[in-house]
Order: sequence, then structure tokens, then C-alpha cells
Amino acid sequence: MNKSGLVIRLAIVIVFTAVIVGLITTQLFYRFTFLNEQALGEQSINQLYNTVSPTASIASYLGDKELAEEVVNGLISNDIVTSAAIKTDVLMVKSDNYFKSSDTLEFVLFSPFQKERRVGVLLVKANKGYLAEKANKISATNTFVVAVEAFIITVISILVTYFVITRPILSIGKALHSISPGTNERIDKPTSHQHSEIGQLADDVNELLVKAEQQMLREKSLRNEVQVLELRFRMLFENSTSAIVLVEPQGDILLYNETFEKLIETLQLPLKKNYGNYLQDLFILKKELHEQIKIAFANNESATAELELISSREEKMWVQVVVTQLITDDYQENYQITLHDISKRKQQISLLDQKANYDSLTNLLNRQATEQHLKQLASAKNPFALIMMDLNDFKPINDIFGHDAGDEILIHVASQLLKNLRKADVLSRWGGDEFVIVLPDASKEEVINVCAKLSSALSKPLHLSQHNKSVFVTASMGISFFPDDEVELIELIRLADKAMYKVKKDKSVDKELYLAFASDMSKPASNSQPS
Amino acid sequence: MKQFTKTISLFLLVLCFSIQAQEPIAVVVNKANPVDQLTRSELIDLFMGKYVAFPDDSKAMPVELKGENDLKVNFYQNLVGMPLSRVNAYWSRLRFTGRKRVAIFQANEADLVDYIIANEQAIGYVPQSLITEDLKVVYILNE
Repeated sequence: MNKSGLVIRLAIVIVFTAVIVGLITTQLFYRFTFLNEQALGEQSINQLYNTVSPTASIASYLGDKELAEEVVNGLISNDIVTSAAIKTDVLMVKSDNYFKSSDTLEFVLFSPFQKERRVGVLLVKANKGYLAEKANKISATNTFVVAVEAFIITVISILVTYFVITRPILSIGKALHSISPGTNERIDKPTSHQHSEIGQLADDVNELLVKAEQQMLREKSLRNEVQVLELRFRMLFENSTSAIVLVEPQGDILLYNETFEKLIETLQLPLKKNYGNYLQDLFILKKELHEQIKIAFANNESATAELELISSREEKMWVQVVVTQLITDDYQENYQITLHDISKRKQQISLLDQKANYDSLTNLLNRQATEQHLKQLASAKNPFALIMMDLNDFKPINDIFGHDAGDEILIHVASQLLKNLRKADVLSRWGGDEFVIVLPDASKEEVINVCAKLSSALSKPLHLSQHNKSVFVTASMGISFFPDDEVELIELIRLADKAMYKVKKDKSVDKELYLAFASDMSKPASNSQPS
Repeated sequence: MKQFTKTISLFLLVLCFSIQAQEPIAVVVNKANPVDQLTRSELIDLFMGKYVAFPDDSKAMPVELKGENDLKVNFYQNLVGMPLSRVNAYWSRLRFTGRKRVAIFQANEADLVDYIIANEQAIGYVPQSLITEDLKVVYILNE
């Protein structure tokens, strides 16, 4: 049984109280009894005196020893008298054990006939031991009674408190202990406490249990909702075809989805925790990304950019990057970066671009694209040289060997020309057997050099396998300079064209001639018209 | 105060009447007895049995009347303030302890007077009216 349990504690308190109260009561009662007995003893002695006083008076008066002895013997035969004596002028009669002491009671004896005449003294000693013994006896009885009473009260108190208070409370406690909150379990109200405070306690506990159950149910349903919602969010996030990444301002990745993982795998990069600010290390043009972000964030917008990803693969990968600033509940700045794969679209666009701007046979820029390019250079005020080239005697070859051979020759020419041009230079098929070459920032000497190289490259024979015949191709080139010769593009082209026809015309005279500058022929040939 | 005085005077009047009603009792001895006067205590001691001698140590013999004589009743009433029955009871008690009363009993007052005249140690009581030359008065009760 629990040492600090209610029953034990209560029992200890009650027993302790009973013992203390019993002791105090007994002691007090003993004192009272003793005093009372003493008073009673004195009273008894007084009564005894009253009884014997006439005889004692006579004995004293007459000085009669026998009578005095009778009185003394009569007195000491009482329990409360230890010893007694009668003393007169002539007589001293006393019991055997009499001796004079301070606690001796003295009664003056007068003459029976003359009330004022003293004849002697009656001396009596009370039996203190007898009185104390009597008091003790009474007290012992009383102590026993008190002890029995205390025992009965203690037992009854303990039983009553146990059955009326402690047990019902313990039963409530036990029931409460075995109940798991949130269920529909309830505590039974003790039958004898339907309307008492303990019953009220049970009611209150049950009310609390009801509330707890309701709360638990509410929380459960809420948790379920949150779970469902989370599942959906996760589905959205994980199944997104776009890579979604949540990063901190320093570039640490907080969260990423499977698509991002796959993307990194595709790029054959190691999966890292940090790819720099805004994942910049993944892109070829970091600068553009930062610029776009700067502009967008200044306007409180999401930044969008189309960027090419770093990849060791041949196939280029393009993504549309959307960077959104997110402020969390605790005022922390995070970025949501979404990468939409736009490689296919880019490919399609470049294919369309190819179709629109390139000649399908030679894969060189077509006339339209070249014109566009020239316009750009002109508007940028970028100086350049424009070479208009036409193949000599191409038509007869075409007629003799057929179009397939013609096409073969055109491809051959294009590749030869391309081999001898710089990267910044532009080679385009202007139409038929006409080519336009743009040399940016080229001087006249450079142009002469280039043209010489081109001419010699063309002079190599081409073996037509179908016809088992080698052919030679030569070309005529007319050159004009922007902006030195002309600022208007149409006029500039016309000038180069004119110079080229001039070469064709003069070829009959000088077989080796293959180029002419528009600036050289402007004056002497101002009147002549191309044929 | 006036009431008090009145009560006192009434009391005195009643007292005077009672005294008048009873004749004083004289205690007498033989003329030859050397004792001339006795105190009340000495008188009591002699008649109640404490002493059997006069103060001068000469033997004394109290003379008593027999029965319930009015004089006897009056005498004890006046001497010790007790009715005769109680005086008799006193003597009865003493008799149990073995003490014997020393006294001469006479049948009447005349015999009593005669005895006193005849005995030198005798002492007795008589009404004042019966006092003769042959008797010596030592105490007068109820004066």
C-alpha cells in the first residue's frame, strides 16, 4: 500500500491526534481529579471533625484519657486519616504513628458548656497517599475510557473517511488512470455520491473528457486534411515536368524535386548542395541571368530568362528560368527557381530560322538573311567590305552536265570559300551562281588578299564522279566599301554588282582579271551600263 | 435608627419580664466552708464533674435534686445553657467510659438545705427565698 496514500496519511493524522488529545485529556483529568479528591478529603476530615467534636470536647474538658483515646481510634479507623491526636493542658493522647508536621490539620476544641473556653486541640493528618491512589484509580479508569473512546472514534473516522471520501476519490482516480483521453470512455459516478462534491468531481472530469474527445477529433480531422493537402502538394511538386528548386540567398539548396535531379543527371554534373547564386553555375550566360533578376526584382516581378545550360553533351539544352522571390513567415528571403526545358522549342526555332535564312543547298545565308545582316551592320555603323561574286561560265556547265552537277559545283564552291574566310566574315548565296561576301573592318589590301585566296581556292579542279570529268570554276568579284563608297545599302550593292560586271566585261581582254573595286571604276566607267 | 432603638428596648423589656418571672437561684455552701465566692467556671467545673474539690483544694460534694425538679431544670439552664435531658445524656456518656459522678442526691429542696447545713464540704443550689442564716451564698444565678 502506498505509504503517502490518503488512507494511510489520514489514519496517521487521526491516530496521532487521538493519542495527543487522549494524553492531554488524561493529564488534565488526573489533575482535576487529584485536586477534587484533595478537596473531598479535606471536606471528609471536616465532617469527621464535626462528628467527633462533641466527644473530643468532653474528653478535653474533663481531661479524660479513655474518651480521648476513643476519639483518636475512631478517627484513624477512617481511610483518609493517617494519624490523629488530642492535646490539652494536662493530656496528650495520640495514635502510634503520629508525629508533628506542617501538613497536620488543627481543630481547636472548646468546652462543651462554655463556647469561649478553649480546652484543647484535635490534630489530624490526612492520608495523602490514599487520596493520590484514589485519584490515580479514577484517572486510570478515565484513561482507559478515553483510550477506548479514542480507538472507537479513530476506527470510525478512518472507516467513514475511507468509505465515504477516500475510496470514491480513489476509484475516480483509478478510472481516470485507465482511461485514454480522446476516446468515448467515461468515469462512473460513485453511487453514494450522486449529489455530493465527489459526484460533482466525477461530472467535471467527464465533462473534461468530453471536451478532450472533441478536441482530439477536431485535431485528427485537421491533421487528415493537412496530410491530404501535403500529399497533393507533394504530388504537384514531385510530378512537375519542370525542375523546381528552393534556394537561399547564398545559393544553398533547400528543396528540389525529382525533375531537377534528373536534369542534373542529364547534364552529367555532380549533384551538389550549392550551384552559386540563383543556380548560376548551371548556365552559360550567368551575366544575363543576373541582369534579368536585377530588373525584375526592382519591379517586384519574377525574373524570366531563356538560358543555355552547361552540358558536356552534344545536344544543346535550353531552359526558361523563372526566379521568384519568396518571403517566409519569419521574414527570410528564399528563391523559387523553376527550370522549364525549352530545348525542343529552341531546336524547332533554330530549324525554322535555318529554313528562313539559309540556302538549303549550300547551307549558306540566303539573300534575305544577308540583307538583314547588312542592315544590322549599317545601323551599327560598322565599316565593312562587300564582295559580289559571280561564277564564270556556270550556265554552260549546268546545261552540259545537268542540274545535279551544277548543284555539286555550287556546294564545292561554297565549301572552298568558307574554308578561306574568317569567322566574323559572312558568306551568303545571293541567288543562282551569285555569292555575297561581307568582310567587317577590312582594308583594301586585306580584301585583295582575301580575294586572291578565294580565287586560287576556286581554281582547284572538281571531279564530277557521275560524268568522270574534272571541271574548273572561276569567279568575278566586285567590291564596294561601307561607308566609304556608299552609305545606302541598295546603292552599295549596286556598286559592287557594277564592279563585278565590269570584271566580266573586261575578262575578254584580260583573262587573269577576277576583281574590281567600285571606287576604281566610278569615274571612267560612269557612263557605261552593265550589259 | 429609631427602629433599631425600638427593637432593643422591646428586647430588654421581655428580658426583664422573664427575669421577674423566675426567681434567682443561689448557690450555697456550709457556713463553715472557707470559700466565700466562686466564679461561674469554678461552679460549672464542680457540677459537671471536672473537679471534685473547691479552688482551695478542700474536698467538695455537690448536692443534687432527684428527678426533674423545676429548680434543677432552671439551674442547668442558667448555668450551662442546656436542657436537663442533655445534661443527663452527658452523664450517661461518661458513665460508659467508667467515670462515676460524685454527688449526693436529695429528694427535695428542704432535705438539700438540711444536708448542706450538716456537711461542711457540701455545695448546692436553692431558690433565693429559701436562703437562711446557716447557709453561705457563693454565687447567685439569674440575678
